[in-house]
Amino acid sequence: MKNQRPVNLDLTKFSFPLAAIVSILHRISGVFTFAGVAILLWLLDASLASEDRFFALQETLTQPLWQFVIWTVLAALAYHVVAGVRHMLMDVGIGESLKGGRRGAQLTVVLAVVLMILAGVWVW
Amino acid sequence: MLKVEVYRYNPDTDKAPYMQSYELDTQGKDLMVLDVLELLKAQDPSLAYRRSCREGVCGSDGMNINGVNGLACIKPLSECVKNNKLVLRPLPGLPVIRDLVIDMSQFYEQYRKVEPYLQNDTPAPAIERLQSPEERAKLDGLYECILCACCSTACPSFWWNPDKFIGPAGLLQAYRFLADSRDNATEQRLSKLDDPFSVFRCRGIQNCVAVCPKGLNPTRAIGHIRTMLLQSAT
Repeated sequence: MKNQRPVNLDLTKFSFPLAAIVSILHRISGVFTFAGVAILLWLLDASLASEDRFFALQETLTQPLWQFVIWTVLAALAYHVVAGVRHMLMDVGIGESLKGGRRGAQLTVVLAVVLMILAGVWVW
Repeated sequence: MLKVEVYRYNPDTDKAPYMQSYELDTQGKDLMVLDVLELLKAQDPSLAYRRSCREGVCGSDGMNINGVNGLACIKPLSECVKNNKLVLRPLPGLPVIRDLVIDMSQFYEQYRKVEPYLQNDTPAPAIERLQSPEERAKLDGLYECILCACCSTACPSFWWNPDKFIGPAGLLQAYRFLADSRDNATEQRLSKLDDPFSVFRCRGIQNCVAVCPKGLNPTRAIGHIRTMLLQSAT
């Protein structure tokens, strides 16, 4: 018997259901939000340095690139919150069936996209 | 002609696994995936896979069919073939012995851990331990598991921690005995599951529910166990 047996674990070869994709995106968006908070805190710190810095920063944040950065953080946060609420609802037994889980995943995507669009409207 | 790609690995001759292509004339019939394998084996006797009952009862022929785990014997081509192509790989995450045959030791080890048998230290009654129809109904959706491993090998938590996370199949059986009115080892069973890995590695992504060939719901059973663990911890 060989000790080194291969394992079939090439993730690109599997097809994942929507519920799995919604779940992994929850984690990815969480990491993203965490990194985003660092940027936001840095911005907050910069804005509190002096009155001049505050206005300079206000000016900077009207640039499309910065607006995009703010939007991505908001979008990640929006997704993370919606998917997180779904996880909590499932923890109390709502949407645990195959159908319910699928519907919950679809609802998560729709709600998150709506929130992302609203965030975009708010930023721009 | 149906194009079939099969994961091949012979430990005696191959350094690494590879995909082998076959073509098969299904004569327009909606065969089961297992029938396809049988026809391929007639072409190529070196092809290895497990099978037994060929009707979804024994759980031997679990495999990854076009990216989704399932039992080859009850999966018709019409439900899985896309673009006239069928890709067969072994169940993910467990070591491959040869071709589509995997080493299920880790899977069985997790099953062993949940002590899947009735435990009751009260004196046995003269005839049998009775159960009301309502109590018996609690076991529906739990006892039907055939241990094909389709669910556990579809679970990322099990892929990353096959030694510490019991996995959906094992946990479904754990709950089957927690829910059984004739079993009175509930507390001991719960205390053995009460750690960060055994139960709580489940993230509820429901891959297990999506692939179970018997239509069972390990996610719900795991939810029940979590609730019992929380209640017993008070």
